[in-house]
Amino acid sequence: MSLTLEIVTPEARVYSDTIDTVVVPTTDGEVGILPGHIPLLAQVDHGELRVTKGSETLILAVGGGFVQVADDKVAVLAENAITQEKIDERAVEDAMKRAEDALRGKDSLEPAEIERLEGLVRFSVAQLDVKRRRR
Amino acid sequence: MASTRDIRRRIKSVKNTRQITKAMELVAASKMKKAQQAALAGRPYAQLMAEMLAALADRVEESFHPFLVKREVRTRGIILVTSDKGLCGPLNANLFKLAADIKTPAKFVAIGRKGAQFLVRTKRDLLADFQVHDRVPFNEVRLVAEFMMKQYLEGVVDTVEIIWPRFKNTLIQVPTVLPLLPLASVKAVLAELRADAGHPAPATRSSDSQMLFEPDAPTVLEALLPRFINREVHQQVLDAKASEHSARMVAMKTAKDNATKLLGDLTLEYNKARQAAITQEILEISAAAFSAA
Repeated sequence: MSLTLEIVTPEARVYSDTIDTVVVPTTDGEVGILPGHIPLLAQVDHGELRVTKGSETLILAVGGGFVQVADDKVAVLAENAITQEKIDERAVEDAMKRAEDALRGKDSLEPAEIERLEGLVRFSVAQLDVKRRRR
Repeated sequence: MASTRDIRRRIKSVKNTRQITKAMELVAASKMKKAQQAALAGRPYAQLMAEMLAALADRVEESFHPFLVKREVRTRGIILVTSDKGLCGPLNANLFKLAADIKTPAKFVAIGRKGAQFLVRTKRDLLADFQVHDRVPFNEVRLVAEFMMKQYLEGVVDTVEIIWPRFKNTLIQVPTVLPLLPLASVKAVLAELRADAGHPAPATRSSDSQMLFEPDAPTVLEALLPRFINREVHQQVLDAKASEHSARMVAMKTAKDNATKLLGDLTLEYNKARQAAITQEILEISAAAFSAA
């Protein structure tokens, strides 16, 4: 028995494969999913998603979204997702700084824009966490 | 036979037209490439989200969220996505045909100037019209989606549907109606869309109606459903833009080819006229010389 995992963002399909287990960061803490899991729908938090396939472990940073489990199919819908090796630490730091600067002038921004920037900052933090922990 | 000067004048004007249509074709082609990429990249996300919701609609109580409640349809709410500008072949006309077929009471929201003009002209109930920039920024589309959700929640409309030219490929765009709210009606259309995208229908899911929600169902639904509507509308507008630029490029290419053909015909006619004039002149000169001799 194995799971199929799909990670999709609005920009692209980031990952699609059959895997053994996956650990998803939800708003209530990490959830480990094995084959035979009962149907689940959970909110995904910004954080680290671990995929195990055979002896390999793949780590991705994901931004907020949702995960659905049904019939051994795991579908992750995230605003952002990036694999560990693709994270560019410096670019992330720059993006984070820019977003934080923009947020300082909060009063003049639209609520939707504030939400977007805050999401960006949280995703940046998650990316840096993932990148730095593995060294 | 038209005089050579008249023909020359026509040749000049056709040449100008060809040049303009050629330039427009190139502009449309480059915009098309970008728009198509954006539309295709966003599809898996929208598709997956729609599937997630279709599965969800079966498994949760209607009472968890107003978007799930099926109510009697008195007034349909329809988002009509068209282009701002014309010169894109039958694209908009096909959409209008679809919209004109709606005989039941309906209220409309237009994205794109052409749609707004059409709805005003046919005296439909136009609630609002929106303009969306070519790049389709999420924030602009979100306004439309949120406006529509508000109308739905307030009971102004009893469904939310979207009509847009679905992008199949550069040559084919299919005007499509997709019901978004209430969510129960999403499912029927979904299978068709999926088949169309080249993916077979997913295997029938096991019938266990239990579903675990984290943190809990109302919270998840509250976050998921509005986002679904936002994303879905966004995706359809991206699709519409891809269709628009494709249709425009094809229309301009046809116009350019026609101009080239016309130019060939005109040049032939011009040469004939010129030759006839020369022959005529020689005849006159030789006749004059003959009579003088």
